[in-house]
Amino acid sequence: MNGNRIERTELPEPRYEFGGDDHVFVELDEAMSFDANFQAMAITQQIDERDIAGVTEICPANASYMVRFDPDVIHPETMVEELKEIAAETDISEYSWETRVITIPVLFQDPWTHETLMQFRDHHQDPDATDLEYSARINGFDGVEGFIDAFVGSPHMVTMVGFVPGLPWCFQMVPRTEQLEVPKYVQPRTDTPSRAVGFGGAFSVVYPVQGAGGYQLYGRTPIEVLDVDQQLPNFRDSMVLPNPGDILNYRRIDREEYDTIREEIEEGTYEYAIEAVEFVPDAFFEAPHEYNEELTKTGVSSS
Amino acid sequence: MIEVVKGGVSTTIQDLGRFGHYHIGMPPSGAMDLFSHKVANALVGNASDAATLEMTYDGADLRFEENGVIALAGAPMPAELDGEDVPMHEAVRVEAGQELETGFTTEGARTYLSVSAGIDVPEVMGSRSTYTLVGIGGHEGRTLQAGDELVTGENGAAPDTVVGNTAPEENLPDLENSNVLRTVIGLCDYRLTDESREQLCDVAWKVTPEADRVGYRLEGPELEFVEREQPFGAGTDSSNVVDVGYPIGSIQLPQKPIVLMRDAVTGGGYATIGTVIGADRSLLAQRRTHETVRFEPVTVEEALDARQSVQDDLAAIRTAIER
Amino acid sequence: MATEHLAAPMPGVFYRRSDPDEPLMVEIGDDVSEGDTVALIGVMKNFHDITAPHDGTVTDILVENEGEVEAGQKLIELTIED
Repeated sequence: MNGNRIERTELPEPRYEFGGDDHVFVELDEAMSFDANFQAMAITQQIDERDIAGVTEICPANASYMVRFDPDVIHPETMVEELKEIAAETDISEYSWETRVITIPVLFQDPWTHETLMQFRDHHQDPDATDLEYSARINGFDGVEGFIDAFVGSPHMVTMVGFVPGLPWCFQMVPRTEQLEVPKYVQPRTDTPSRAVGFGGAFSVVYPVQGAGGYQLYGRTPIEVLDVDQQLPNFRDSMVLPNPGDILNYRRIDREEYDTIREEIEEGTYEYAIEAVEFVPDAFFEAPHEYNEELTKTGVSSS
Repeated sequence: MIEVVKGGVSTTIQDLGRFGHYHIGMPPSGAMDLFSHKVANALVGNASDAATLEMTYDGADLRFEENGVIALAGAPMPAELDGEDVPMHEAVRVEAGQELETGFTTEGARTYLSVSAGIDVPEVMGSRSTYTLVGIGGHEGRTLQAGDELVTGENGAAPDTVVGNTAPEENLPDLENSNVLRTVIGLCDYRLTDESREQLCDVAWKVTPEADRVGYRLEGPELEFVEREQPFGAGTDSSNVVDVGYPIGSIQLPQKPIVLMRDAVTGGGYATIGTVIGADRSLLAQRRTHETVRFEPVTVEEALDARQSVQDDLAAIRTAIER
Repeated sequence: MATEHLAAPMPGVFYRRSDPDEPLMVEIGDDVSEGDTVALIGVMKNFHDITAPHDGTVTDILVENEGEVEAGQKLIELTIED
């Protein structure tokens, strides 16, 4: 599989849409692809860098982005003109950005998400299997172990953060043919444990807080992705851990390690494994597996 | 200091909102009816960014430990200060030891109470607004309860200079008859069938009891989506798109519309089909459960004119106060 | 004997239980004391207690559990001994 390249996606003409008088929404593609997401990432980074007067929110999303602005400062039509100009000057083949590889330890098939998913079998496509068994089967794996191997085998890029504070949507950094895909629950659950690791559509997520949810549940991480009191050392600057463009490297752990890390989190002594890296889309497209190995190797050496 | 004697159904501390963090999932929060929040502040001589109490349907009862000035704006709410009626939209003197008792709004859903110099709670990410979902801002990140103690700011306007300020009736919205929400149709409206797109603006939508600061969930006919082969990553249901950011005021369609308000979920995979314009989000915040709303399609230019007209009303109120 | 109606102070949903698993707070024929919570009105996932203003007997309940109510709508009839 080494040497498998990421096939580039030809993006359609972007659609510029007004959200009332104070937002512009730009759809880069209807389908998810690295090209669409990296384009969203690059353009929003450029908007930020230009420091355009009146812009109050800059939000990259999976295959689109959104800008909020004060129409008293910048006219909506002028805003769109600015965005078109930035888009014309942005070529992701010549682009790179500073980001971070964050290791997320995960206890798969943990007792907490297991209890929840068993409670909601009547909301699921396959009431007789667990979410992992179902996901493994429909993705052509012989068993759960092989599916988990694939899930942790390559890192996942945070392509969007939102819904609630700190919830990352992550797209696994592999060619389309290797990408895992699962539907969301038929009926959303009314409950999900905090720190649950799930998957829906083509995206993995970490639920920051307990609440409703519709993604397939695979495991739980002992570490926090949201710390509103900003007590943990890694949250001094922001109460949210993942940012768009970050790279999450899921690492499989056992119950013993889960408990140890959880204890350290609760004592406020846990050191997150975070490595600063430069992400170069072109190099990634050329040889994703080798590129990922390099990325995560540095991540491991620092933890 | 102000002691909360009764919190009411849902009273929170709000200001203009928290900006610059939407991309990490943090909605702006802030006053749902921004216009009334600003009027309340103007009456007592505060800047617009001073924090007020947003009281929903039911008022809070408060005991004042210091002299000061208060004003009520927005939804009409019966209120008495030591047994004396407190009129709406008028700056009223309060003396240490006096108690304010409030009732239920007689029309509209949200009443704003300003105090001279504003409610002083620590800013979180640049705002005093309460966001209850994750428990930040305001007073301990939650709705007020009996026994809470609130500190007011310093350097408020001298009471004698503001007591008796009133807002001219003609510059205040007619809450009872404001059920038309001007809306810029767009975003992912291509997902709707032509028939459903027409229906969206033809029918009266009923506000459900779940409508809250996150979103106004509406009841009405089920809208239909164009059948298609779902694009990669969009999920299997035809109401789903590859996850997008949701504008504040946008109408998302799990099936029945939800208009996202100031504690919005910031993004997700439901198709959004238009955005209620800034000027009319304050009016929607005053719609009561079971009342109806209609969406009226407008252009961005019309939305900007509406915005200007709201600013003109605020300016007229400020001029009347300064006179 | 006098009867008095408890009314909804705001629009919302009328609840006769504090939680779906809890028993009904009152039934017709129950004696209640001043201040007892006899029902709830829920709106925006927040609740307002409907409390008995006097000691008395519940002689009628005019809205079904989880029925939608308007502000001012009569909910419960209370009969008070003179």
